[in-house]
Amino acid sequence: MNFFEVFKNESKLIFTDIAIVLTIIGGVILYSFLYPQPYAKEAVNKLPVSVVDLDKSDLSRDIIFKLNATPQMSVYRVDNSEDDAKSALLKGDVKAIIIIPNDFKKDLALHKSPTIAIGADSSYFLIFGGVLEGAMKSILTTAASIKVANLLKNQMPMSKAKEAYTPYSLNVINLFNEQNSYTQYVVPAVFVLILQQTMLIGLGILGGGINERQKRGEHGYFNTAPIWMMILSRVIIFGGIFFIHMLFYFGFSFDMFGITHLASIGNLLTFGIPFLLASAFLGIFIGSLFVGREIATPAILFSSLPLVFSAGFVWPSEAIPGYIKSIAILFPSTSAIQGFLKLNQMGAEFDLVLSEYKTLWIEVFCYALLAYFKFLKSRDCYLPQTR
Amino acid sequence: MFKALSGAFLDELLSIKKSFYKLSLITILPLLCFGLIIGIFYGGVLRNIPVIAVDNDKSKFSEKLLFNIQSSPTIDIKYRLNSLKKASDILKQGSAYGIIVVPKNFMRDTLMQKQPKVTVMLNTQYILIGKMLTSAFMGSVMQSAAEVEYVKNLTTLQNPHATLNSVAPIKLQVTPFFNTYQNYFLFLVSAILPAIWQIFIVVATIVSFGLLFKSGKEYEFFSGGFIEMKIIGKLLPYTFAYLLIGILFLYYIYGVLGWAFQGSFTLVFFAMFLSVVAYQGVALLFFVTGFDYARSLSLGAVYTAPAFAFLGVTFPIYNMNGFALLWRDLLPISHYMEIQISQANYGLDGFLEMDKLLLIVCFWLVFIPVFYMFKRRVVR
Repeated sequence: MNFFEVFKNESKLIFTDIAIVLTIIGGVILYSFLYPQPYAKEAVNKLPVSVVDLDKSDLSRDIIFKLNATPQMSVYRVDNSEDDAKSALLKGDVKAIIIIPNDFKKDLALHKSPTIAIGADSSYFLIFGGVLEGAMKSILTTAASIKVANLLKNQMPMSKAKEAYTPYSLNVINLFNEQNSYTQYVVPAVFVLILQQTMLIGLGILGGGINERQKRGEHGYFNTAPIWMMILSRVIIFGGIFFIHMLFYFGFSFDMFGITHLASIGNLLTFGIPFLLASAFLGIFIGSLFVGREIATPAILFSSLPLVFSAGFVWPSEAIPGYIKSIAILFPSTSAIQGFLKLNQMGAEFDLVLSEYKTLWIEVFCYALLAYFKFLKSRDCYLPQTR
Repeated sequence: MFKALSGAFLDELLSIKKSFYKLSLITILPLLCFGLIIGIFYGGVLRNIPVIAVDNDKSKFSEKLLFNIQSSPTIDIKYRLNSLKKASDILKQGSAYGIIVVPKNFMRDTLMQKQPKVTVMLNTQYILIGKMLTSAFMGSVMQSAAEVEYVKNLTTLQNPHATLNSVAPIKLQVTPFFNTYQNYFLFLVSAILPAIWQIFIVVATIVSFGLLFKSGKEYEFFSGGFIEMKIIGKLLPYTFAYLLIGILFLYYIYGVLGWAFQGSFTLVFFAMFLSVVAYQGVALLFFVTGFDYARSLSLGAVYTAPAFAFLGVTFPIYNMNGFALLWRDLLPISHYMEIQISQANYGLDGFLEMDKLLLIVCFWLVFIPVFYMFKRRVVR
């Protein structure tokens, strides 16, 4: 049997299997639209808050006005009592309460440092962080302008007072993902995982299906074709399809959702190739372990959430226990996510991702060998007569 | 009629006992996934995030500032470098998440009231870390600045109380409601576990029916009528199993780990029960599209895999677009999750949860087309 025949047989098996086609073509395209949807409106902003204004002075109204002007929140209601605000919070109308105390203006004039209380729902992390950031910035600005005014009262010239209200200031610069966009945070990483998982499922259904037929005693090209030809055919077919998917994801989809791409195409492809190869060989290997064509989808599906959260972008890898990291590193996606994020989102030069790059190539060779020997072994057990 | 139901129920129990695969779907596999997630987030609080300090002043003031920053539990100054270029490479390599740059003449400018700028550059690609570092840096730099100002003002004002006021004319008091520990474990794990749970319910349902149809014994199984009862009987072992697993993870989070739970467990268990059945119905709806085992699993995967993102726990629903909100509504787990959160955190009155419970019950309607399609398929 020559290579061309084997390739033809493999292609036929792959493209006539609806479950495989649905996963590696339909699924991949569908996911590329579906996954970014929750974050499509970008940064967290204009969260509804309630301000309890117990002072009712021009100054408190000014604070409310400034709070409303921050991008993070909108003052959804102004309440007269804490109880009203609290019930609005429990109903879910507002996510935070800001309380301006009684005699706020008076205490300020008497230099008694009145306290503004901020309470926010911390069951939703981004909500809490967003409200806190907006409120703190807005109120600290007010505090700074009061300090400047006090300095002016003490005969300090304006130009000087503007600098003297604090000994030094802090300038925070967001490198990469400057807008704190959630899409930029989640989508580039999850896309890498989707590519790997759909490839694994496709190859898993294929491999499991062949195992099932062999077990039933069916005869086919898969019993006689040279093993390297079968493996190579799968690598070419799946590698080719997912190479196009990768271009589609990193090109079209990234553009569509406005995701930064800082890496050069050359670097992206150089890094992408061992990722695709490692995923393909891993898929061929685990496919050869599955005893039926229906095992792959659940098995890969179950691994998805643990893999997302151990990849080190949601939760930093410093905080993940070593035994979980050493399981996660076995999957190409873990190194690939790190590498792609560095290259494409942070604009790192290629030598900064060399360790991930090497890991991926090691995985390519290990999984290729494992796949080959597993094929050899299953041939022994199903077809002793061919030896 | 009851015999058909109990017969199918016992049959399924027997087949679970015989099939290691079916058994593991309701035992070790979900528990293993839960265990991994719990393991990942077990620390719960982020501490000692590595950052780089580039001190261009090397004075008493800059030392004090960096000392104050280092004493923040969130930040760990792991590297001290002289070159910004080297620092930025380390940042891109992922070995540190932020750079703090103290400018030249920092001490001199501070003393001359020229307000020098301390610059912090953060890797905000990782939003969560970025946000934690932003507030930690803001806190410790402002604290240091206030200390310097306090000492300076004290010399002129000679009155500690007035000095304090001159440094901070308005005080801020921040109170996190509900998850008062600001702990990620509670925040993420209590939502990820239900998201995994729903994947298992859908898969196990399809596996149970898929294996029946694949073995070609569906006519035999459904012979003698009472098709609805037999379907229900076949589903019931899994309904119980997943309800039990659901109760187990709630018990682990709120019982074993002891996180505060304000509301009614009964209500949450009831919502869990409604959700399990809802997901079983939806899973069968995928199955009846062609009674094809592998293909319905693919549909189930598309439906359940992205659910976590739509829950609104990480990214608030206030900022989701119309399509995302629609898709979210089509997932029973998002309604369940609202109940779990509001019961755990707010202890909301059960009556106010009615609308969400009703929404979950709406999914039960899928059994109408499911029963119909089964009858068409298995009645000869």
